[in-house]
Amino acid sequence: MDGILAGGVLAIVAIGFSLVWGIMNIINLAHGAFVMLGAYVTYELYAVYHVDPFLSLPVSFVVLFAIGYAVQRWIINWVVRAPILTTFLLTFGLSLLIVNVALIIWTGDRRGIETAYSGTNFTLLGVTVPWVKLFTLVAALVITGALQLWLTRSKTGRAIRATAMDIGAAQLSGVRVARIYAIVFGLGAGLAGVAGTLIALSSSINPNMGDPFLISAFAVCVLGGLGSVQGALIGGLVYGVIQAVATSVQFTVGGQLISGSGLSDAVAFIVLLLVLIFRPTGIMGRAVA
Amino acid sequence: MNAALRSLGLSGITGNPVAFAVALALMALLLFVPAAHNDYFNLVFRNILMYAAMAYGWNLIGGYTGYVSFGNVAFFGIGCYCSGVLSTHGVDSLLADVALAVAVNALFANLLGRVVLRLRGPYFGIATLGIGVAVAEIIANLDALGGTSGLALHQVDEAHFGVYYYAMWLVALASMLGTFFITRSKVGYAFVAVRENEDAAAALGIPATKYKIRAWMLGAMMGAAAGAVFAPANGFIDPSITFSPDSNVFPIVMTILGGIGTVAGPFIGALILAGVNELLQRYIVNAHTLFFGTMIVLVVLLLPRGLVWLFGLRGGVRAWLRSLTAYRA
Repeated sequence: MDGILAGGVLAIVAIGFSLVWGIMNIINLAHGAFVMLGAYVTYELYAVYHVDPFLSLPVSFVVLFAIGYAVQRWIINWVVRAPILTTFLLTFGLSLLIVNVALIIWTGDRRGIETAYSGTNFTLLGVTVPWVKLFTLVAALVITGALQLWLTRSKTGRAIRATAMDIGAAQLSGVRVARIYAIVFGLGAGLAGVAGTLIALSSSINPNMGDPFLISAFAVCVLGGLGSVQGALIGGLVYGVIQAVATSVQFTVGGQLISGSGLSDAVAFIVLLLVLIFRPTGIMGRAVA
Repeated sequence: MNAALRSLGLSGITGNPVAFAVALALMALLLFVPAAHNDYFNLVFRNILMYAAMAYGWNLIGGYTGYVSFGNVAFFGIGCYCSGVLSTHGVDSLLADVALAVAVNALFANLLGRVVLRLRGPYFGIATLGIGVAVAEIIANLDALGGTSGLALHQVDEAHFGVYYYAMWLVALASMLGTFFITRSKVGYAFVAVRENEDAAAALGIPATKYKIRAWMLGAMMGAAAGAVFAPANGFIDPSITFSPDSNVFPIVMTILGGIGTVAGPFIGALILAGVNELLQRYIVNAHTLFFGTMIVLVVLLLPRGLVWLFGLRGGVRAWLRSLTAYRA
């Protein structure tokens, strides 16, 4: 149960990551850094202006959307059509840059947000459910639905899907590709920002918090299948459960106590490898060409 | 696009011969650093040589074979721990350290490669993101390897400390010459064939996965040898030293700056960046990773083929500017 709730955040992180990857063929290694920035937007609003974290959700979406839009428009766009490894390295550099600027501004200290409702739970069928996590799960569901609708029904959404299918044909039909790319990247960053806000609600934050989420987002995309919004949601929930179960396990090997709780990243990595070996196509996609 | 790059003066897989000659000459000069009898210089240049060896290791898989790996730090770290284990069992021989580290990591890279190198391109890259973290976490949880508190290694007495410098120099030189001879052989061309077009390579009878595993193994051996010398030279290892993000990021950035997929590039990149980093750490503490991030961004955008590329650039500034807009949307 705890896993499903934690999976909600992972799903939101993964949806943005999957969108950028599926549509622009960019593996955005700065995605984790965007998650971190979203968390700090919320923290700053709360600490300085005493804005309720839930109210800062739209703010962190808009701020991160703007950052993502600008980064794509003026930096990544120069090499957006280069082989995928070029943007791979570029976003890796961007990630280092963002994280270290954050370290200078906010230092490496762990910070947290304490609200009136942050420790409150309710009990359902004998299971304790924190309100914040339930809200996160609902948010993940709503975002998935809204995004799916927007991509299929709106004019911009259709232009985005057309660009993903065939850049040349989209351009000939009057789609301004550079702008569409910037919107998609902004959207990906915005969703990362929302996830960051939700993470800040339930755990402490620091500038290096993004990396585990980046690796998880990748694992979730592989689990759920690349470029699929619903796949990312399902993958996120499945992954959340696996991680929650794996990190609560304890066993002894030759007198050495092995506790899952210290190994959450290793567990993520091993799950990822296992999926890639045994189910390379993901739940609804492809991984090995 | 390849034709355009060739017209700019890029040819052969060894890279520009002048650049290689310069790199060899610089490497020879570094042999005389201990003659200055300055401990600080010895340390700085030993680190440069260490990063150069790691960069050569990364260059084989990331540069020549086109598989960007973010997990090569694992080989360096395991190399360190090979020396650590030998030292705690009373064996203090650099030769034994390097031999064990190279053997263990060749095996580890082979087994791991069988799994992760079945993945293509970026899938491989992200799969490797976790390797360093996972290995570090596992070692931190093993009491036999000192856990998070680390291992102390036996060192030679101070009068003979130069032996670590010369050992590291040999490791770096071997990595450079090894890369050179690989690029002169069929194996090197197989790597490049895989990088340029894996399916076409397979159609020509080049077993892609086999060669990817070879590139990964050879690279692992270089990183491991560097680690095996670093551990006793440093005298102490723990997971945060041996698997530090710096050890993961530096070799990549150095190779990119110097010239990805060239023989001279990794060493030239290591010389410049490790030198700059040393200055940064002395004068602007805590900003060096920021600098490295900025460096990656600028180099990818402005010098996508690295500094070595400038040795063979024809057509001057205009050709360079034209090449920058080639991939714009």
